[in-house]
Amino acid sequence: MFEVIKKGLETSLQDYPGRVGFLNQGFPPSGPMDSWSFRLANLLVGNKPGEAALECQFTGPALKFEHDHVISICGGDMQPKLDEVAVPLWESILVKKGQTLELSYCLTGARTYIAFSGSIQSELWLGSKSTFHKAAVGGINGRAIQEGQKIALGISNGKIGKKIKHNVIPEMSNNGIWEIEVVKGPNDDWLDDNGYQTFLDARWKLQARSDRTGFRLDGPSLSFNKKATDKSPEHGYEPSNIIDQGYPVGGINLAGQTPIILVNDGPSMGGFIVPYTVPSASFWKLGQAKPSEYLKFKEISVEEAQEMRSYQTSICSLESII
Amino acid sequence: MSTSVLTSVPGNIWKVLVSVGDTVNEGDILFIMEVMKSEVNHNAPISGTITEVNIENDQEGVSPGTIAIIIE
Repeated sequence: MFEVIKKGLETSLQDYPGRVGFLNQGFPPSGPMDSWSFRLANLLVGNKPGEAALECQFTGPALKFEHDHVISICGGDMQPKLDEVAVPLWESILVKKGQTLELSYCLTGARTYIAFSGSIQSELWLGSKSTFHKAAVGGINGRAIQEGQKIALGISNGKIGKKIKHNVIPEMSNNGIWEIEVVKGPNDDWLDDNGYQTFLDARWKLQARSDRTGFRLDGPSLSFNKKATDKSPEHGYEPSNIIDQGYPVGGINLAGQTPIILVNDGPSMGGFIVPYTVPSASFWKLGQAKPSEYLKFKEISVEEAQEMRSYQTSICSLESII
Repeated sequence: MSTSVLTSVPGNIWKVLVSVGDTVNEGDILFIMEVMKSEVNHNAPISGTITEVNIENDQEGVSPGTIAIIIE
């Protein structure tokens, strides 16, 4: 059990892979945005990689523990401290009864995961413990953690001093630019050649008005081909409008001239074209990008995206723990 | 003795509510940032007088840990 002393910014319970299989009912997968760091955090404390843990965003919480417990902190560096003494990331540590773990603002990255040995006690909702706060479901009472809450943990049987091998720790951007892989489509013939090239050549600035629903980007205007400008009226007035369709998770929605990447809590359908899609293996980079940093897109094939995912799955395993 | 108030999140400055020379009480809201479609209040950690304001309304792309305001 721990008590929430300071809630942080929308700190929420997530599990991996989240609420998969319910997009047809309007429920997104949710889950951790950086599932790479998330899974490693769980493995460090002896959990299965997908067990429920806390996702901290931009500025972290303060948690006071009522029992001894083994935890780990992985992801962006929010300068974690235990009773004012700095503690390491990417390592399992012991928190003693009465101690307070406090995270501050992020020095690197944007999201950090706190995993607890034995996980967090919470009910499954549509097969997942992930919080989807827009529908107030999952997690702890369907919302981010709140100050004064006492949150029950499972039995701690993890070992302290476990570490992640250096070569499998995700590398945060050190210059504010993130290279994000994209796969073309599903609407792969609505921009003209110049439009696609402009999209790939530009550095897109991540807006502060971005959250776990969508990442809004600032950048150049894109040009369309005839399919977008000379179409039947049911598709809508704007060139980027299309008759309502299902959206893939990671789809880059073109709303007028604003690309919006539909991320973990994104909508399942709508009436904008999706010229590119971010594959799941690149989501961790979106999760670690801060507002006003830049995204540079690199087109890859579906097969390359699948290889990236397979590699990531292979390193999110006990073989990465020492 | 002076105390610096740092930005706690990356994002935009939405509103600065104090100016140099203002007196504030501990807990007063000094400025509000915007990130993830949320307003993030920054409160005075102590009572005192504002001696420095390094941010302005609608300022974009402010890093976390920036010294925004100094109180004496």
